Amino acid sequence: MKNNVKKIRMKTSMTQQQLAKKVGVTRQTIGLIEKGEYNPTLQLCVAIAKELDKTLDDLFWEVEE
Amino acid sequence: MKSWISFLMPEDEYKEKKMLYFFSEGAILLVLFLVVMFLVNKFIDLSTGVILFAGIAVFLFYIFGRYILSGMEYTDIATEQEYKRAVRGLKSRTTSFVVLFAIFYLIYGITSNSLVNWYEFTGMVISVGVVSFLFDFISLKKSYKKNKELL
Repeated sequence: MKNNVKKIRMKTSMTQQQLAKKVGVTRQTIGLIEKGEYNPTLQLCVAIAKELDKTLDDLFWEVEE
Repeated sequence: MKSWISFLMPEDEYKEKKMLYFFSEGAILLVLFLVVMFLVNKFIDLSTGVILFAGIAVFLFYIFGRYILSGMEYTDIATEQEYKRAVRGLKSRTTSFVVLFAIFYLIYGITSNSLVNWYEFTGMVISVGVVSFLFDFISLKKSYKKNKELL
């Protein structure tokens, strides 16, 4: 699933490791989510959104351009 | 989701999901193996002990193999520096394991009053060390490769 997690995380200058620690998963899991190779549970999506101070739409909603 | 198997599962949700797949695949392979053995047993007389042991081995080796090759054991090794440090740690862990194994193997040999054959002892200790290092090394290498691509 395509998403904006990496773009938004990098804007906040947070590393994968830091985000992973804050939401209680491994760095690998964050990397997989950012690459769209793993679809996280809603619970994890919400945790990531809260940490990055964004809505689920901002992070995960695909907008056709 | 609550299940009695939860205590065996990792905290990380990706790892948990993958492990559930591995367990399920292993269980299906085990059933297929038992069906084949059941049919073969009609023509060839097989020892029950051997079939049961082979069944357990199929299940455990499958899960272990998939886990090692999945590259999800060392989730934080993504840079060359971290990788080199992890290899050093792996070497010292393997050395400690081999020394402990050798001590316990000797103690077992002495307490069970069986004469320790030094060739057998050396062969066993070296084999255990090599196999243990190899499995860990493959897992580390796979994890490093996977993590590097995710940075």
